Amino acid sequence: MADMGGKPRLPWVSWLIAAAVACIPLVITDRFLIKVLTFVGLNVLVAIGLALLFGYTGQVSMGHAAFVGIGAYTCAFLTVRIGTPWIVGFAAAGVIAAAGGLLLALPSLRLKGHYLAMATLGFGEIMSLIFVEAESVTGGVDGFARIPPPSVAGFEFKEPATLYWLVWAVAGVALLLAYNITRFRPGRAMLSLHGGEIGAVASGVDVVGTKIKAFVISAALAGLSGALYSGVVGFVSPSVFVLSSSVMYLAMAVIGGAGSLAGPVAATALFTLLEYLNALIPSMPAPIAENLGLYQTDIYGIAIILVVIFAPRGLTGLWQRRRSASSAKGGSLAERRQGSSTQADTPARPEGLEEGEGT
Amino acid sequence: MSELLQFLIAGVKNGAIYALVALGFTVVFASTGAINFAQGEFFMLGGVLGVFFLRLGLPLPAAVLAAVLATAIIGGAFEALAIRPLSAGDPLKIIIVTIGGSVALRQFALHIFGPNEMIIAPFSSGPPIRFAGAAVERQTLWIWGLTLVTVACLAIVYQKTMLGKAMQATSLSHDGARLMGIDTKKMVTVAFVLSAALGAVAGLAVTPLTQTAFDVGAGIGVKGFTAAILGGLGNPLATVCGGIVLGLLESLAAGYFDPLYKDAVALVVLLGVLFVRPSGLAGLMRRGRG
Amino acid sequence: MTLLSIQGLRKQFGGLLAVDDVSFGVHEGTIKALIGPNGAGKSTLFNLITGFERPDSGAALLNGVATTGMSARDVVRCGMARTFQDTRLFDNLTVIENVMVGTQVHYTPGFFAAALRLPSARKEERMIQEQAIRLLRQVGLEEWAGTPASELPVGIRRLTEIARAMATEPTLLLLDEPAAGLNSSETEDLGEALSRMRDLGTTVLVVEHDMALVMEVSDEIVVIDRGRKIAEGPPRLIQKDPVVVAAYLGEEYGNA
Repeated sequence: MADMGGKPRLPWVSWLIAAAVACIPLVITDRFLIKVLTFVGLNVLVAIGLALLFGYTGQVSMGHAAFVGIGAYTCAFLTVRIGTPWIVGFAAAGVIAAAGGLLLALPSLRLKGHYLAMATLGFGEIMSLIFVEAESVTGGVDGFARIPPPSVAGFEFKEPATLYWLVWAVAGVALLLAYNITRFRPGRAMLSLHGGEIGAVASGVDVVGTKIKAFVISAALAGLSGALYSGVVGFVSPSVFVLSSSVMYLAMAVIGGAGSLAGPVAATALFTLLEYLNALIPSMPAPIAENLGLYQTDIYGIAIILVVIFAPRGLTGLWQRRRSASSAKGGSLAERRQGSSTQADTPARPEGLEEGEGT
Repeated sequence: MSELLQFLIAGVKNGAIYALVALGFTVVFASTGAINFAQGEFFMLGGVLGVFFLRLGLPLPAAVLAAVLATAIIGGAFEALAIRPLSAGDPLKIIIVTIGGSVALRQFALHIFGPNEMIIAPFSSGPPIRFAGAAVERQTLWIWGLTLVTVACLAIVYQKTMLGKAMQATSLSHDGARLMGIDTKKMVTVAFVLSAALGAVAGLAVTPLTQTAFDVGAGIGVKGFTAAILGGLGNPLATVCGGIVLGLLESLAAGYFDPLYKDAVALVVLLGVLFVRPSGLAGLMRRGRG
Repeated sequence: MTLLSIQGLRKQFGGLLAVDDVSFGVHEGTIKALIGPNGAGKSTLFNLITGFERPDSGAALLNGVATTGMSARDVVRCGMARTFQDTRLFDNLTVIENVMVGTQVHYTPGFFAAALRLPSARKEERMIQEQAIRLLRQVGLEEWAGTPASELPVGIRRLTEIARAMATEPTLLLLDEPAAGLNSSETEDLGEALSRMRDLGTTVLVVEHDMALVMEVSDEIVVIDRGRKIAEGPPRLIQKDPVVVAAYLGEEYGNA
């Protein structure tokens, strides 16, 4: 990562991908498919936060669905019941989810070991109870219905395509900000925690502060995703913000790979699309589609185990291994790594967002 | 008065179940330093496999034994397949793998045994026993009996056998135990086998009262962990106390306030203990002595 | 002038008195070796001085400021950095990034500035990187800069950890068995690196078992056994001290 301080800019390929993502609604007219791709964007937003929290900082959260829920209900409640402009509800969703994250993080991150995982699980379960029981705010088991689509300055995001653009614009900005964070001092501090807390303390890293910030950022992103979700779907049901969703988000971060943003984003896209494969391939035989739905969760569970055992750096690691194997001709390891880090922003890095092997 | 007694009985009944699951957490934590998120699934497997073996036509004692053994074997196999390949001493990886394992085990149970609830007839039939104005289900007596026997067996294994001593040494220090010639990897396997058996006993004992299904694991996992952390995740006796205390708190809250609070109690206790006193009841006792 | 002053440190674990009323000083610009048999309490002493553990009584003063009672992180910011017996590198980072983590301790946090790529973050990043490169050049690790720490041989790991500690710009550097696992030529390099650091103005307190290295580089030696200080003085005298020879050197150095 000799490029870290020099020119931590995105290679042009990432802009190309961004342009491609932006053009999709112009090419694809199938409304359902656009909606599916919008869901990918919603999940990507959560995955970015979890990539920072798990992949960079090494903290396990089993309660992120709760933050998505907090965001969804906050935005719905403010816009429908209080009548605030959508953008206020959207911002409030991020702020309140972040505040919830702070409240949970402050005490539990001071603990030794990995109690945080259990604390977040407990928090998630409490929030699921609250989502169901606080009927006056959330609508209880029946859910919160008739949420109007997002609107900004008089423009209503009613059409699937406009919703798609809205969601992906937010996801894109979040990705860019997260990328910048990882490329500077805070990113290195987060990675050092994943590398070993004792070493981090001995190097003067603010361990607790860094963890708390990572947690709050990831909670805020989940909250924003929830706010967008409520506007996209128009209906919020408590059955969505449950443990299995939290595990799915975590699975995406794990499978995507530690120390990378591109990996979790790719994993999220892959798994979300897998869920709606029959929308992508209309000619798919019904039995296959059914089985895929039936075994979807199995795939998460087993993939988590396989990745941790066989590919600890996840999709990112596999991708890089392939790349470094193809470039491993001549030169010592050190030279090669040096080489690859000095030419880091030549167009040879299709993923663009990864922490390359030289980093 | 009899109402209070009834609540206390219910509390100690649930508490005994929590205690068994909590002991499973404690045993694995001692040998790996990690929380086993698949612990609740062992509880589920005990009950579901019990139903399965009964349906095969085995008599109750044989079915119970077979279910406990099968769950213990699954626990050991899970350790051998998924935990052992990990580099030792990385609790983060173990936690992630057990999260994946819990999802996988739950899904396997769903595919094999279906989504429906299942039940076992009470171990001995007959009307509840009346006692000072309160009624005790016969199955509750079975739960208490099985818990007592299991905890006693565990205590004997820990205190009297070489295996137990090796496990204790491992929990104190992995490196130290290795220096003494203890196969610490084997101890981790033993820990998973034991904790799976503990979970299975709990799941079997309670199924006649609550029914079981493929998805009961997550809920009991949280309760069991709460009990374990209440007991300080170390001392087995404190762990059992943690289970009983949690059971009592739940049943009193549900009885005197609103049944709705039953599940919330465990979660509030969990977060409360984590935030206020991570060393649990054991820490409180130690402080009292010191 | 005394840079570090250890005053009556005491630490008990259960029934075991790991460190029992130990006092000594480290003079500015010198290398002091802390030696003693295994289990003598050397690592515990290091942990007490650097804030990783709290003493039951006594204090360690760096330039008159008590570091005992500070958090380990504040100790680093105060100018005292350490390494570990079992090197604690960040295996997920490269050598230069490991060093950069050390360098950045003196900069203020910047999630916000980083997210928006503010000029302050970019300038800071450049400075962090330049400092790290300069440091790697000093310890002769430039060629390893881009290598992931997980792929380093033991000797380079130790040097990298020392470089990371040096990156925090300490006035006092504490090294816990830096020669463990090194071959003889690596140990020689290490000895030279230590002398060079001292000559550049860094004071060093080193726990070491390699007596040849200790005798060669240290200006003063303090010996502890079973938690107590049993001798202190220049290497020549320590070598001949009958108490030390009986407790320690007799078994190891004497046979060598």
